[in-house]
Amino acid sequence: MIRTIRSIQAIGIATYKEWAAYRSHMAISLLIGPVYFLVQYFIWHAVYQDRETLNGFTLEQMLAYFGIAAVTNYLTFDFADWNLQMLIRTGKFVTFALRPMPHWLFALSQKIGHRSLGFWIEFVPIFLIFQFAFQVDIIPAQPMWAVATIVLSFLMNFFINYCVGMTAFWLVRAEGIRRVFLLLKDISAGLFVPLSFFPEQLQKVLFFLPFQFTSYVPTRVFIGDYELAGIKLSIPAIVGVQACAVALMAAVTLLLYHAAIRRFSGVGV
Amino acid sequence: MIAVIRSAATCFWAVMRTKMAEQMAYRSHFVLSVILLIAGDLVVPLITLLVYRSGATFAGWTLYEALLVQAIFGLAKGIAFPLFFGMVNTTLGLVREGTFDLLLLKPRSVLWMTMLRGLDLDDFGRLISGGVLFGYALSGVSAPSITGWLQFAVLFAASLAVLCTFALLLSGLLFQWVGSSRVFDIFDSVTSFGMYPGTIYSKAVQQLLTYVIPVGLIANMPAVALLGRGGWETLGAAGASVVFLALGLWFWHAMLGRYTSAGG
Repeated sequence: MIRTIRSIQAIGIATYKEWAAYRSHMAISLLIGPVYFLVQYFIWHAVYQDRETLNGFTLEQMLAYFGIAAVTNYLTFDFADWNLQMLIRTGKFVTFALRPMPHWLFALSQKIGHRSLGFWIEFVPIFLIFQFAFQVDIIPAQPMWAVATIVLSFLMNFFINYCVGMTAFWLVRAEGIRRVFLLLKDISAGLFVPLSFFPEQLQKVLFFLPFQFTSYVPTRVFIGDYELAGIKLSIPAIVGVQACAVALMAAVTLLLYHAAIRRFSGVGV
Repeated sequence: MIAVIRSAATCFWAVMRTKMAEQMAYRSHFVLSVILLIAGDLVVPLITLLVYRSGATFAGWTLYEALLVQAIFGLAKGIAFPLFFGMVNTTLGLVREGTFDLLLLKPRSVLWMTMLRGLDLDDFGRLISGGVLFGYALSGVSAPSITGWLQFAVLFAASLAVLCTFALLLSGLLFQWVGSSRVFDIFDSVTSFGMYPGTIYSKAVQQLLTYVIPVGLIANMPAVALLGRGGWETLGAAGASVVFLALGLWFWHAMLGRYTSAGG
């Protein structure tokens, strides 16, 4: 156990250092994040011109929703799907199949290192920009639950993306499938618009899918109340549901991983 | 002059044939990519639909009018992306690998060769989503006048010039900022201002989006022309696109001059 933790730490630190060499790649978020938010700022100000609330959100809450969704995304961002598909397509995965650590754990360790760097370069500055330049209140209502939901969202994002990446074990070119799935995931996670904007029946379906736990749930936990498809849950309750969903997704990932490894064959790379 | 055009057309069709053959080797992937592009381009209209469905509006714009802006954005991308934005990918990949030198050795303009190499058939799929949405949006507004169509034609050409300029700026940037695929994120974020009716922005921002970073020309102004809300003076804004394009061409060639080969 201690050896595994040390390995995770070592891989995380190596990934941190590797990406720190290309920090301008990450730092460009300092331009992109505020620009996207500025567009949202204008859109929602125009929409709220003649009304106080919309689908249960006031203007301040709507801006907070998009602000929180943006900054939490910097903590949970993931590209394990792209990376895994690239390794399988190029045959480089064979070197990982030989290592004394399952690749999914290696990839998770890499993500920890990558997002640790993202915390300083992306999350902290953009959090400050939103909070002080845009005057949007994105400080969590219940900080401890906010930390818990972010950790769970971090894991959920990873497990979903890793499962998508594993389609490459069965398909020759899985790029199209990956992009379709991620688009649906982003829509179903409430990244583009809060899920309460969707028709009632669709909201009921979305409640039982894992995607809301990557963005919608953390955002609502930050705001301090949760509601979807007419279901209102307290913050501890929804974080508990999120923990169960993450455990289920982890089990699905492990099952798929074992099936995929049995299928994989590679030549000397 | 005729010989130059014939030569350019020959190159273009030769590359298109090769690209088509390449795509047909992975037909299912090609079809899936096209479907995905269509779905991806319909996300913003979907959000607009959900906002209007909930009873809210952009003041002064009906749902069909707001969708018209987004449809024109899709149509412009449907032409500009397959033709111009492959340049960005070409520069990104070849400069990183150190093989951009091969384009410098070809007996044609480097810019033309970069563009040809980047032609991307998948992106023509955007024309389908843009076209369908355009037809749907037009069905809900008053039929545009002949003058409106003429103004639209001029402003749509300006829209393509603006998008071409963005491709030149991003591609040029990659000669120095080697391997940064995030230039696409910069493009998406900046041009997202152009996907909504211009009147949602303050006057100062509208001026900025018309004359300085003319993303308002990509879709908003052509839509305004079709809706009969713009006079002939709006065509003056098209002049901004010409200046912007000239700037893009100058920038690309200036950055090419700074390219130093890695000798790959």
